[in-house]
Amino acid sequence: MVKDSKKSLLNDYKLYLTILIISIFSLAYGTIKLPIFSNVNLIIFPFIISLFLAILFYILKPFKWVNYNQSKKCTSLILILIGPLLVKLAIASGQNISLLFNVGPLLFLKELGSIGTVLIGLPIALLLGFKRESIGMTSSICREPQLAVLIEKYGFDSDEVKGFFIVYLIGIVLGTVFITFLVNFLCYVIPLHPYSFALATGIGSTSMNVAAISSLTSLYPELSENLLAFSGISNLVSLIFGIYVYIFISLPLTEKIYNKLHRYFK
Amino acid sequence: MKANLSLKMIGEWIGILLIFSVMAAIGNWVGYQYPFQESLIGMFILCFISLLGLIVEKLFPFENVPAIIYISLIGLFVALPWFPLAEPIIYYTSKVDLISLTTVLLAYAGIAMGKDLDSFKKVGIRGIIVTFAVIFGTYIGSAIIAQVALMYTGMI
Repeated sequence: MVKDSKKSLLNDYKLYLTILIISIFSLAYGTIKLPIFSNVNLIIFPFIISLFLAILFYILKPFKWVNYNQSKKCTSLILILIGPLLVKLAIASGQNISLLFNVGPLLFLKELGSIGTVLIGLPIALLLGFKRESIGMTSSICREPQLAVLIEKYGFDSDEVKGFFIVYLIGIVLGTVFITFLVNFLCYVIPLHPYSFALATGIGSTSMNVAAISSLTSLYPELSENLLAFSGISNLVSLIFGIYVYIFISLPLTEKIYNKLHRYFK
Repeated sequence: MKANLSLKMIGEWIGILLIFSVMAAIGNWVGYQYPFQESLIGMFILCFISLLGLIVEKLFPFENVPAIIYISLIGLFVALPWFPLAEPIIYYTSKVDLISLTTVLLAYAGIAMGKDLDSFKKVGIRGIIVTFAVIFGTYIGSAIIAQVALMYTGMI
């Protein structure tokens, strides 16, 4: 089975043409600014347009050359294509290495920010009636590394892992949309320095990282080089060290808070 | 668990990355009017480094170190001021806009998501709210800690 899918990864020219057309259309259409309040704009980037267009192509019947098989193909292709994007961010980090030496230990502290996930997410999940699932859902941003930890600790068929998959899947589908909205909205509402937001975009999910930093750089074009540098190195630190913060701090903390709180939510 | 490295596999990676390079360079030209040839060279550089990372992952015996980490480290290394080729690498890759690259990637992602739409529907609005809270919590938590630390070190 693996061999079959390998053979046909490259020769599906209709799939590639479709993706090319979606990309060209989205980029030609450009960035859309929707005013929400007086001075708050929701900025819709070409990549959000292309994401939704691609989903439409999958759903709509007339485009029958984009179906389940192509969807599976794209899943394996993405694992390879995320590479060039990471390189782009890494180059920004290397270029500005002196800046990053100044930040130093701070990057490791920033990992503790993932505790915010538990503090905000867990009560909401409990309120909405989730039980043990809420531990898997809200102990982290739910990407692949954390899955490995949860499976090892609770087993694949546990409620915790089921909860994980809920957030994992929704994160894949809507994560980039959510984070784009948050980046735009919060920089108007909470007056933190753009560098702080740039460090926060390194959350260990590459697609969300990219969506977030693209939004942030278009909000502060004059700082874009430094923002990219901070974001790239921060995401790398998350990828490497995030897992240890998860094992030793976030997950035990989630368990503790859950044990204290769950009896109040029946 | 790792599959062994084969020439066929490398050939396939090269093909996949070449197609991606051409698409991104076209998108870059359409969306941001960068010269097509320069963006294409930039894309080739980005893809070549990714390819190195993918190969290194298969060659090195460390389990649990994903290719993304090698790719990020190599990318960081070649742009360091004391790396001899840093200047042309930085010049050409700066001709590839992050947004056009992301746009092409998310077109792939949209199609990849198609097959998961049903399981996504089952969970409904409660799952969406929690997911939003989780992303919000991570982002704001990290931003606040970063702000405090940046102010403490006097960076801002």
